[in-house]
Amino acid sequence: MAAVATCGSVAASTGSAVATASKSNVTSFQRRGPRASVTNDSGPRLVSIAGTRPSVRNGQLLVSTGLPALDQLLGGGLAVGTVLLIEEDKYNIYSPLLFKYFLAEGIVNGHTLLVASAKEDPANILQELPAPLLDDKCKKEFDEDVYNHKTPESNIKMKIAWRYQLLPKMEIGPVSSSRFGHYYDASKRMPQELIEASNWHGFFLPEKISSTLKVEPCSLTPGYTKLLQFIQNIIYEEGFDGSNPQKKQRNILRIGIQNLGSPLWGDDICCAENGGNSHSLTKFLYVLRGLLRTSLSACIITMPTHLIQNKAIIARVTTLSDVVVGLESFIGSERETNPLYKDYHGLIHIRQIPRLNNLICDESDVKDLAFKLKRKLFTIEVDFIS
Amino acid sequence: MTPSEGARAGTGRELEMLDSLLALGGLVLLRDSVEWEGRSLLKALVKKSALCGEQVHILGCEVSEEEFREGFDSDINNRLVYHDFFRDPLNWSKTEEAFPGGPLGALRAMCKRTDPVPVTIALDSLSWLLLRLPCTTLCQVLHAVSHQDSCPGDSSSVGKVSVLGLLHEELHGPGPVGALSSLAQTEVTLGGTMGQASAHILCRRPRQRPTDQTQWFSILPDFSLDLQEGPSVESQPYSDPHIPPVDPTTHLTFNLHLSKKEREARDSLILPFQFSSEKQQALLRPRPGQATSHIFYEPDAYDDLDQEDPDDDLDI
Repeated sequence: MAAVATCGSVAASTGSAVATASKSNVTSFQRRGPRASVTNDSGPRLVSIAGTRPSVRNGQLLVSTGLPALDQLLGGGLAVGTVLLIEEDKYNIYSPLLFKYFLAEGIVNGHTLLVASAKEDPANILQELPAPLLDDKCKKEFDEDVYNHKTPESNIKMKIAWRYQLLPKMEIGPVSSSRFGHYYDASKRMPQELIEASNWHGFFLPEKISSTLKVEPCSLTPGYTKLLQFIQNIIYEEGFDGSNPQKKQRNILRIGIQNLGSPLWGDDICCAENGGNSHSLTKFLYVLRGLLRTSLSACIITMPTHLIQNKAIIARVTTLSDVVVGLESFIGSERETNPLYKDYHGLIHIRQIPRLNNLICDESDVKDLAFKLKRKLFTIEVDFIS
Repeated sequence: MTPSEGARAGTGRELEMLDSLLALGGLVLLRDSVEWEGRSLLKALVKKSALCGEQVHILGCEVSEEEFREGFDSDINNRLVYHDFFRDPLNWSKTEEAFPGGPLGALRAMCKRTDPVPVTIALDSLSWLLLRLPCTTLCQVLHAVSHQDSCPGDSSSVGKVSVLGLLHEELHGPGPVGALSSLAQTEVTLGGTMGQASAHILCRRPRQRPTDQTQWFSILPDFSLDLQEGPSVESQPYSDPHIPPVDPTTHLTFNLHLSKKEREARDSLILPFQFSSEKQQALLRPRPGQATSHIFYEPDAYDDLDQEDPDDDLDI
């Protein structure tokens, strides 16, 4: 009885547990099960969040990046709580595609989106997302696109290994929305009703910041400070870090930051080699990773690393991110006319894969990967020639 | 896209080079150097846009107003709105200027336009601004000015904006030049050989591959453009040393190719695990030369050679 009185002032969850114990009068030990939690449902349930799956290696919760080929290269997907850094190609044509695939995957799975950009209005970015290929009637177009590029040799019937002729030509095809990775049609836009049904937050830097702020040295650029505060507010208010447990079902927050480090964010690492706030970007990434690790979110960042003057900053940025993928397009370089690369539009370099709760990482054996943007699909293939 | 296209395209083009530079809008970067100056091209562009009826603003920082207006006839001179920052760049005379914030204030004021007339803003020069203002601030303001018309929602009210910036490449390091060129929609690099000026034009349309071409030109005294052919006949530097396509199967120690006869022989070969009708007949047919099969047996010491049939005891 005295125990109940002293416990009267503690938090509601423990108080109610004690109350039920005194009601049953047997023991204060509570079994976690469906019949035990009558008063509140603060007991943890094994609820699976839409669009995620545990990794087959170590059970880490993974989300899809929007490109099943990239998921496979990263060892199943992007782990929740990590940062995917895309090093932009020189003319910034292919990295926005990967950015949009990530966001489109979030909309299809019903995740919450947070889009931050200093260049374009986030509402405009969302209007340009690719349409998902969901039904079987789209499977025909998908297969057509693939068959158009088949070489003549592969049409010969196999005489010795004829059992393999009966296998389906594609391992993964367009799937329904309950599966993990989806295919997108880059030539069509996402339907308006899907975008409006989704929950998204936008951060457009010119609207959020006045241009006459004074920057103290050795601190974060005001743009970065505002962005971090914005992300922190969203995470807290919508309960992605578990701070509002009574709210509705748990969901993933997908954060997309475009062109981080460019001068439009107010950062001068692209302009000068030893600028005044050269640690601003690294501090931002450090704080961002802290925010991500304590919440159910995944982040994609595109960065114009080819413009960064100080190469040491690129090395620091790589260390502070989890997954780093570099895109190198052939436009304007001498490789464009090289006949060995004529089928492809560029090379894709997987520069870093994280070791999360693990001693080794899921590195794939192939290092020579090339990508090409077909009329509808973005594919990543192993480049056998080089 | 390839330089050969650019050299061929110099002959008989109907679309003017200046038109194509101004049509895209956004930031047009004119990169010049000491040998090939770009101010005359800037003035040619200014004249072209004034003749098209656009509103033209000039931010003159590097040369005086008289020197800039020289060569234009009075019709064009009346249409130019000139903001002079050359005579008094730090505003020491404290006169009531239209833009008290200096050139940056002038650019910021132009961000807040609302009329539908297309506008061309010429910055003479962007290098002057880059040396005196922080690069990030300049990039942010230029982006805001040149992208006023890119919102799909209310694009009907604001006309197209072109910002022409003259940049002297040799004054700046690769950092600021790279940052500005990543923001620019069109980049014109001036060069030339043997007294002939050329412009290498790189157009970056959003979400499309950039196109580049090289155009040989000369500017006439009244600042109109004269397109010309290149100095030498169809010189294509990429294909001059003719590199044959690489065939990886040429120097192997084993043979990867099949002749026609070999290919036919291979196709007609019956594989051991394929069961075809010929094989079936071959198995069923008795082989010539082997009428019966013989079994050769040597009896052992422990063998019981009993000639009786053990099945005789059965009463079947």
